[in-house]
Amino acid sequence: MTTTATLLAARGVSKSFFGNPVLRNVSIALQPGRVHALLGENGAGKSTLINLLSGALRPDGGAIEVDGRPVSRMSPAHARHAGIAVVQQELSLTASLSIAENIGLGAYPKRFGLVDYTELAARARAACDLVGLREPLSTPVGHLSLGRRQMVEIAKALYRRPRVLILDEPTSSLSATETKTLTDLLERLRAEGIAILYISHRLNEVMTLCQHVTVLKDGACTADQSLEETDAAGLVRLMVGRDPGDLFPRWRPSPSPASAISVRNFSAGLMRDVDLDIRTGEVLGIGGLVGQGQEDLLLGLYGAIPARTASATVNGASGLPGGVPSANALGLAYVPADRKREGLHLIHPIITNMMLPAFARLPALKLRSRRAERDMARGLAAQLAIKGDLDRPAQALSGGNQQKVALAKWMPHDPLVLLLNDPTRGVDVETKREIYMMLRNLAAAGKAIVLLSSDTPELVHLCDRVAVVREGRIKAMLEREALSEEAIVSAAMGAEQQKVAA
Amino acid sequence: MSTVVSSSQAGALYWPVQLRRNVGVRSLFAVVLAFLVAYGVLFPGLLTASGFAKFTQSWFPLALVAMAQAILMLTGGISLAIGALVSLGAVIAATTMIGPLGVAGGTAAVALTGVGIGAATGFIVVKLRLPAIVVTLAGSFIIGGAALLILPRPGGAIPEWLSDLLAGNTPAAFVLLVLVVLLWKLYLATPLGLSLYAAGENPVGAYRSGVPVDGARIAAYAISGLLCTGAGLFVAAQTGSGDPVIGSAFTLNSIAAAVLGGIGFLGGQGTMRGALAGSLLLSLMISVMFFLGFTPVAQYVAQGLIIIGAVAIPQFRKVQQ
Repeated sequence: MTTTATLLAARGVSKSFFGNPVLRNVSIALQPGRVHALLGENGAGKSTLINLLSGALRPDGGAIEVDGRPVSRMSPAHARHAGIAVVQQELSLTASLSIAENIGLGAYPKRFGLVDYTELAARARAACDLVGLREPLSTPVGHLSLGRRQMVEIAKALYRRPRVLILDEPTSSLSATETKTLTDLLERLRAEGIAILYISHRLNEVMTLCQHVTVLKDGACTADQSLEETDAAGLVRLMVGRDPGDLFPRWRPSPSPASAISVRNFSAGLMRDVDLDIRTGEVLGIGGLVGQGQEDLLLGLYGAIPARTASATVNGASGLPGGVPSANALGLAYVPADRKREGLHLIHPIITNMMLPAFARLPALKLRSRRAERDMARGLAAQLAIKGDLDRPAQALSGGNQQKVALAKWMPHDPLVLLLNDPTRGVDVETKREIYMMLRNLAAAGKAIVLLSSDTPELVHLCDRVAVVREGRIKAMLEREALSEEAIVSAAMGAEQQKVAA
Repeated sequence: MSTVVSSSQAGALYWPVQLRRNVGVRSLFAVVLAFLVAYGVLFPGLLTASGFAKFTQSWFPLALVAMAQAILMLTGGISLAIGALVSLGAVIAATTMIGPLGVAGGTAAVALTGVGIGAATGFIVVKLRLPAIVVTLAGSFIIGGAALLILPRPGGAIPEWLSDLLAGNTPAAFVLLVLVVLLWKLYLATPLGLSLYAAGENPVGAYRSGVPVDGARIAAYAISGLLCTGAGLFVAAQTGSGDPVIGSAFTLNSIAAAVLGGIGFLGGQGTMRGALAGSLLLSLMISVMFFLGFTPVAQYVAQGLIIIGAVAIPQFRKVQQ
């Protein structure tokens, strides 16, 4: 540790949610005049650490220190008071208010109890000039593009003249010019003695801008060192690398693959001009950082959001399914990531949840056969090892068992293509293993499995091929032999260039 | 997007901001103006002093309840107790003003009731995190019941001079409305008032920015209550007495006026000038249909169709874009 006064620090903090440890004994120290990078994969605990530093959450153990003194009950108000400003990924702007009114929000200059618009204009203009916002201050924020809004958000943080500036992926929606402006600005702020914590998935930015790095992996700190001592490949190594153990079934090549889905120039939501072939008998992984368009790819194929394509063949039929019912009829099934809101009807019995796709196929006014339903549900429960009374509401099940129900309900329809959106998120290890086994068996039985996952080891050890999505395009299609956590993370973060250079 | 002010004129910020707020409601203003002209042509009486007085008097209470509803919708809430509060304001005015409290005391009682009930409702909705629609529905029964307890059947009285002043051949209603609008502009120029938009549209972001989100929302409920009982006082002055169910129609009309005026249900969308224009449009529609001899039933049907159309047209435009 250097002797410079530390402005903001976490000392051995831990935090759990519902008994699930998210941070374990993590320390970080922000010093004036230094840009500190915080790196880690999705779910490594970066956001939780920011929330602890900014007082939005309180640590279960350890302490947050401001100016070297521990603060027992850190709150957002306390953090603001101490000169800590956070630019979150989730913008805090109000579309119907003007740029200036947004920048000053919560800290308006006052005269006779009213907002002093003259003073506000002068100070907001100064903040806007710093980030290169040239738009009139009276422009409603709702009229701005996402990148410009991000700049307003940064100007809003600077308006309060912070001593510590925390930026959570500030460049994810910025253009190249805006990014350049921001990097120059941060360089200047650093020279003025502000402490900056910089979270980004773009390693080249981190390498040029930052001096110090803290790397988180699975909630623990794996590096706290000067950036001079490492390179991009070294950083990637620090972020990944877990022992897969016997979590994954042994991989076997799939028998005689045939085409299940084939699309050319496919666009849906964030995805643009994607060519993709999905084969039967394989598990195709979809990787990449969160929110690069992966979900839109699945939903577009499933007919749940509007999609365009130059040509498409789905299970022999040409053209994309026009809606969910026709997708089901073509043998497609989709299991959403948010099982609480989209995958299941939590307050309804497990058996009803399992029967829902079947209800959609029955003639609308035909009488139901309770006995047949019960038999089928029992069979599914046995097949997937779902324990307990099927008449209980689905919310009584653990996350892992809920996920099994969300999968089970499609099984009676023998779908040829299973589109799975992060099926193991928040699922315990044992159930994960069961799900992996099941997916491999389904593939061996000639199904096509499309597995969107935020869990890199899962992609490496379970999939035959992995498509890595970045900025709405498939940036890399990694074949089995080329699969490694390093390769996936590098492709997801756009770090291939560095690797070549290194 | 055109550049309205260059950065060199940044000192003048307030008026450009105000002008920008007109953008979304320009077409509404045009429609209202067209209706006003048509009304003026059909019934030239509008342009005489007494015609103007009568017209603004019929519009005034609707304008107040539209504002009361719009404030709540801007915070992401809604109220189904508007009509009951209007009734309560009316019966309190009609029972207190001729008694020992007099006009000043009666007005104070009406205002305090409105602010108090509004603030209490707001407290329940905001602090206990209960859905506004349920709380205000229950509130409408309680408040409506209270009005019936105070005055089981129409009665009471308003001093004749006050009725003449407010609802006689004077432009008092219009002057009062201008005053209310100016007070609203003043409130919106305070940090708390301006926070209303942020608290409604992006409460999490507003909280992180240090906005007293709960305070802004409770204050909105209190102001809303005051506007409702104020409207009740005016309605009592119009009729010269109190009626415990006179306000019933105002609940749905206030929502209709706010929706016509472009206030969104999700919070933070729309402007008060829009809500006022919406109430004027609704008031004009009711008057025109009345003069054209529509039966009350036909009026309701037409009103409903027009409101659905008013909400659907911007939606269609959005889908087409």
